[in-house]
Amino acid sequence: MPNVAEQPSTIRSYYEGLAEGVFRAVTCNACGGYTFPPTGCCEHCGNWDVTPVELSGDATLLLASHNISPACHPRFEKIAPYVYGHIRLKEGPIVQAIVLGVDPTPQALKALFERGPVPVKAETLQMDDLPVLAYRIVG
Amino acid sequence: MTRKLRERIAISGVGCTRFGDLLETPELKGTTIQELTARAVKEALDDAGLTGQDVDAVFAGNAMVHSSQVPGTYSQLSKWTGTQFKAGVHFEAQCSTTNVGAALAAMSIAAGVYDTVLVYGLETTRTKVKGFSPYEREPISHQQTWLWTDMAVNQAYGVPQGYDIFSTYNGLVALGYCRKYGMSIEDFDRSMFELCKTRRLHGSMNPKANIQEKLEDRAKKEGFSDPFDYWRSDKHNPFVAWPSRLLSLVTTADGASAMVITRADLAKGGKSQPVELKGFGINYSDLPWYGEDPTYWEFDRRAIDAAFDMAGIKPTDIDYLHTHDCSHISGICTAEATGYLEPGKGLDAARDGRLRFDGDRPMSTHGGRHAFGHAWGASAGTDTYEAVLQMRGQAGPRQIKKTPEISVIHTHGYAMIGTVVVLGSI
Repeated sequence: MPNVAEQPSTIRSYYEGLAEGVFRAVTCNACGGYTFPPTGCCEHCGNWDVTPVELSGDATLLLASHNISPACHPRFEKIAPYVYGHIRLKEGPIVQAIVLGVDPTPQALKALFERGPVPVKAETLQMDDLPVLAYRIVG
Repeated sequence: MTRKLRERIAISGVGCTRFGDLLETPELKGTTIQELTARAVKEALDDAGLTGQDVDAVFAGNAMVHSSQVPGTYSQLSKWTGTQFKAGVHFEAQCSTTNVGAALAAMSIAAGVYDTVLVYGLETTRTKVKGFSPYEREPISHQQTWLWTDMAVNQAYGVPQGYDIFSTYNGLVALGYCRKYGMSIEDFDRSMFELCKTRRLHGSMNPKANIQEKLEDRAKKEGFSDPFDYWRSDKHNPFVAWPSRLLSLVTTADGASAMVITRADLAKGGKSQPVELKGFGINYSDLPWYGEDPTYWEFDRRAIDAAFDMAGIKPTDIDYLHTHDCSHISGICTAEATGYLEPGKGLDAARDGRLRFDGDRPMSTHGGRHAFGHAWGASAGTDTYEAVLQMRGQAGPRQIKKTPEISVIHTHGYAMIGTVVVLGSI
């Protein structure tokens, strides 16, 4: 078999970054907008000229709910039920992701809701077969 | 710029099966997917006074081919529907499938390509093919249903990293609604109870609904004198995504629906009263479906505006509304976006019974996704089916007192394609 060079993949690069605690996005060289998680095209203006960037990981948790057990996906059976949140990144994008640092109970989630938006920090949650993005409540 | 159909388009026939489970529901048990689909198609063709050989083209919709296992649906179903040798295609827009099909049919007719198009949708979200059997089926597990269904959701990042429909579509939207409008969680819970009561009431009056039992009757059977205590019972109605409970959600179903779309001048004098397809809007979005405000969905806004503009209607013209209600709170947000309900007041309207068939803002009189049930690619056609019945005055005990002249049907095709169809009396 001849050696065939593997083509670059934005998706593979994203998860390889996550494994090292790096949160990869792209910014648009036309409108300046962020696309996160990254693709090869600006999600705002459709421009193909984008530049890879690393995000700070700083964010604000706006709202938090939870999922069910067993989880909809077998990857997450071990941690279900988990808290799932609506998050605004410091750089601007809105994302939804697993939230760490609060119990998936009505009592804990109600207390969090009444507290209002809280700061969170991105971290990597290592599942059996894949590193995934999560946000931990700060303080 | 206003986009207009260059030809007046009508729905001249509609059909749909009972929704339920092909392994256990009366009228469905033992039915094959071919015969299920044929049942809906026959009803629609009979309603229009046509046979399968009278249509020019067939748009065959099916979203979850994993369970149905009939790709190439147009040909596999052709001898079951009498449509052999017609033009046709298999398409999907997930849970908007059949109404997107109606819009595609309208476009093809307005373009002069066809005169009459048969659109149908079929889906099995409760059962799948058993082994290699041509007729036996077996249940699908809850996790398997969502694994297959979520294949329509961002597979690069969303699903692999823990995306969860229950929180994204329900819990987080509910919390956004409560925070935006200053509603307490307790008031929200009570409103969801009242809304579910309305949906179940409608289902109890619909012989084709998956669930035909009123919530109050279920509570009584389970030993509760106060149905709200049943509602708040963790055993019977747990939180699936706090503060949203199980009974504010979709129930899965097997089912099929069909409609005949034709030139309005051809529909006149037909067997049944036609209804005009006046306009539509179809806009999509990848995750996240909303920005900082979970009650505002940009793609729905665009679809609503496009449909209303094409149809030449305003919110005050709407007599009957269905919004996609896999998630009851999301359906309320969309109803508010259409202008049918006042922003922030949708749940008050639900609590006051205004969304019932006999209220002044009737919605989802077939029972919606919870009571009527949800068979992904077939469901939008059942929403249209119900609107057509209401506009003909044929909805039986759940008939809206003032026969609707303008109906608006909104569906969310996973994940997500907002689809709005405007129907008008001819």
